[in-house]
Amino acid sequence: MSNSSDIVYLDYAASTPVDPRVIEVMTPLFGVDGDFANPSSGHIAGRRSQGHVARAAEQLAALLGCSERELVWTSGATESDNLAIAGAARYRADRGRHLITMPTEHKAVSDVFHALAKQGFEVSWLHPATSGVLDPAELAAAIRPDTQLVSIMHVNNETGVIQDIEALGAVCRERDVLFHVDAAQSVGKLPLDLASLPVDLLSTTAHKVYGPKGIGALYVAERPGCHVEPLIHGGGQQGGRRPGTLAVPLIAGFGAAANVAMSEMQENHAHLRSLNDRLWQGIRDLDGVVRNGGETSTFPGILNVSIADVEGESLLLALEPLCVATGSACNSTSSEPSPVLRALGCSDLLAQSAIRFSFGRPTTAAEVDFAVDRYREAVGRLRGIARGLVA
Amino acid sequence: MTCDPYSARVRELFAGPDHAGDLEKADLRVQIEEQGVRIGLAADIDGDIISGLRFRAWGCPHLIAAAEAFCREFEGRPVSALQAFSAAEIMQTLPVPREKLGRILVLEDAVRSLGQSARVSPDSGKDTD
Repeated sequence: MSNSSDIVYLDYAASTPVDPRVIEVMTPLFGVDGDFANPSSGHIAGRRSQGHVARAAEQLAALLGCSERELVWTSGATESDNLAIAGAARYRADRGRHLITMPTEHKAVSDVFHALAKQGFEVSWLHPATSGVLDPAELAAAIRPDTQLVSIMHVNNETGVIQDIEALGAVCRERDVLFHVDAAQSVGKLPLDLASLPVDLLSTTAHKVYGPKGIGALYVAERPGCHVEPLIHGGGQQGGRRPGTLAVPLIAGFGAAANVAMSEMQENHAHLRSLNDRLWQGIRDLDGVVRNGGETSTFPGILNVSIADVEGESLLLALEPLCVATGSACNSTSSEPSPVLRALGCSDLLAQSAIRFSFGRPTTAAEVDFAVDRYREAVGRLRGIARGLVA
Repeated sequence: MTCDPYSARVRELFAGPDHAGDLEKADLRVQIEEQGVRIGLAADIDGDIISGLRFRAWGCPHLIAAAEAFCREFEGRPVSALQAFSAAEIMQTLPVPREKLGRILVLEDAVRSLGQSARVSPDSGKDTD
């Protein structure tokens, strides 16, 4: 049981607890009796620390199907996204300044494009079908001779919609355009083989896959024309692409988390599927309930639902002690309806009532049943308070 | 330690909105929709005294809590007291964050409107919808 006694946590898309097997790997790396030394130091203690970094790189590379040399350690997916998008756009700016993305991306991606637009880059925003999926033909039509980078996320953090990154990447590869994928929600949860996928840059983070917070990675394919300009300078670590002393315990934890994820991926996927189905079956008969993102092409770890005639913030409070999200957790202070749901054709009124349930390894059927009961009760209570008020 | 956006008072009022109820068959009724929220108030009047208050609300927890707080506080008071209802005061006592002032002002408008309709027709079941 992962939850403390007074809450039921169904927000695993926002963050996951650190797996005990990961904690076991990390703990000895902090103290004086452990391998705490700077991995850039040339002495024996530094080389021991470097050994942990090398092992973690092997583990993450094995999960992703890439070479260890193609990995850059970062502080998390946000930094990876920034480094990939801004770094690649600047590196290739002399070839062209046209970039492509979607309005359904995480703000760690979309805000970088907004910033680049202010710096003279031109950004095309492609809208998905109402299913949330982008048609590769739409992408092909949007690419121009001066297009240098396309960024499309793998699994949407709000809806769980899965993009066909193989087909989208193929479109980019045919036209010599770099293809970046924000895979924060999919690494360790869905199979990825970067050796065969036409992906040039891929962002990931440890804390979505039972690793520690504060560590992520960017995959940069070893192929001509694929490179990122560093965003920070000094120190020369990681070939200068992302300088700064490496956080050995966090990196080792990420490696261990990747190792566990790889060995248990199939089993976990089946577990998530059964939980997702159980929750949806428990609430689908409610009047006015809508499953955002549809039932196909969605990652089973996420179920996003809207409901008519219920106000979202009150719903969230009425659901306590259930811990769920309204829209992206990173954006939970905003009262604006989710741009992701709006892009899927969801009305503002329905979008503001959206609740994202997300499941994890520790989630039990009993917790899902509790969520079903709580959701039905909360919806009924809030509709009762508002009964007769005409919209 | 948690950073709770809701005070214990707001949580208590939101969890137990005893005055959420039917607006029909009241002496006075008012309904307003503004600022993305909807609020309905109903009052029963006995002479010059508010003998009963009920509300309906579609909005955030602070709005629901404020509506319930209003009903609890003003039942049994003279009708004239309605004009003294202050959004600023309820913002402070619950409390309600500043960014939600607009929503509490909608409640204030509804309360004032209820008071005005009482002055126009003090003893009839007037519908001011």
